[in-house]
Amino acid sequence: MDGIISNEFAEVACRVDLEANSPRLRLEDLSSGRVRYLDAVELQAVVWLPEGHLRQLLDPSADRWRDDPDEHR
Amino acid sequence: MTTVRAGTRYDELIEPERVHGSLYTDPGIFADELERIWYRSWVYVGHVSEIARPNDYVRKSIGPQDVIMTRDSDGRVHLLMNRCAHRGNLVCEDQRGNSSSFRCPYHGWTYRNTGELLGYPFNRGYGGSGKLDLGLAPVPRVGTHQGFVFASLAPEGPSLAEHLGAAADEIDRLVRLSPEGEVEVTAGWLKHRTRANWKLLAENETDGYHPQFVHGSIFSVADSGIGALYSDKSAAVTRAFGGGHSENDLRPEFRRLGQPMGWFGTSESKVPDYVSRMREVYGERAEEILVEGSPHVMIFPNLFIAEVSIFVLQPLAVDETVQHVTAVQLRGAPDINRRMLQQSVGSVGPAGLLLADDTEMYERNQRGLAQGRPEWLDLRRGVHREGVDERGFAVGTATDETAMRGFWSHYRNVMEGAA
Repeated sequence: MDGIISNEFAEVACRVDLEANSPRLRLEDLSSGRVRYLDAVELQAVVWLPEGHLRQLLDPSADRWRDDPDEHR
Repeated sequence: MTTVRAGTRYDELIEPERVHGSLYTDPGIFADELERIWYRSWVYVGHVSEIARPNDYVRKSIGPQDVIMTRDSDGRVHLLMNRCAHRGNLVCEDQRGNSSSFRCPYHGWTYRNTGELLGYPFNRGYGGSGKLDLGLAPVPRVGTHQGFVFASLAPEGPSLAEHLGAAADEIDRLVRLSPEGEVEVTAGWLKHRTRANWKLLAENETDGYHPQFVHGSIFSVADSGIGALYSDKSAAVTRAFGGGHSENDLRPEFRRLGQPMGWFGTSESKVPDYVSRMREVYGERAEEILVEGSPHVMIFPNLFIAEVSIFVLQPLAVDETVQHVTAVQLRGAPDINRRMLQQSVGSVGPAGLLLADDTEMYERNQRGLAQGRPEWLDLRRGVHREGVDERGFAVGTATDETAMRGFWSHYRNVMEGAA
């Protein structure tokens, strides 16, 4: 099942991938082409992420637009 | 074009029975209005049903100012100025969407939908994360009545309830038409750009003198009874509520007819599910509600509820106004909602006939006003027969200019700083 989740700030293609030994969610950031697969346990963790943790990930400097991408904050 | 002098004396431009033409044409007066009315008093912005789900947002306006109406993940409603705190870029471009955060496309500054700054790229340039005390500017005061969201850019002033006064009862009258007691503003918006001053539109909304002339063709083609409501024989009245608010109260005519759904130009057999649901919910009160119908009320300065449609006036310049229009939708009433949408589109849609007639008059009016003589516009229709009702409000006949006189009386108070 394919779908695109988009708003004016981001566009991500989503697909349930059945190529591996169990299903995964394939996410593709359509603005950069970067792809990530999430397995069931990872997705469950996302569901359980506290709002505050999720919010931290939205900080542009958190993981992506950093002067020191390898350095842990 | 007459130009406003420094220190304009509004008492010299607004008299009880006439107003000066420069009030519609002078850019200086328009700038003054933005400061004294649009950026100070309560202005209608939107409806909570437009952001029904967590993280929904819509772009709205307060006069020329662009604002974002959001619902955060906890369900709270926010009004935020649509301007990045970094370099002033417009943050949201789409008219609506769903997002817990907004990212400015210029440098990537990212905000929660509450306005809080979440972060910015390459944060070493600011000494790290969380170093800036900035955010999207919140609108100082936000108030709601029956889901209708109003805003004031002034941190202090009269409450929303004080501003609305008796006009709030008319919103209540609209809402009670829903078997679930809620209006939904979910039919989508049309925007009509009009080359005319906003006050010409505001005054016209409850002007009962023009319909037989301006809308005569649509009334005759549609074999409509609306025209007769606005005649000297009509028992309907024009009422000024104070605060610049006014209505054409058509209930005396509908009560005389005594026909449920007569106000809607139909009979109960056409909307059986709606009528039976209303009787089930409201019991004996249902007859009164179904006979009296929906209000026709202009709430100063920019919300006009016209029975089946909602209009929002947005002034952009002294001679340019956008009318945002949508159909009223009543929660829990799908059969009447379909007809309301059809009626609304037929009258004020892109090919609708009522608003096209009115817009022609607005633009001709603005062009006519460019002629400097005679200098004044006359407001005296019905002065000699104006009365006061049991609540103390001025009332005139269906075609009298009682509402305009009320509008200008309030306008003058506001512009002179007394309100």
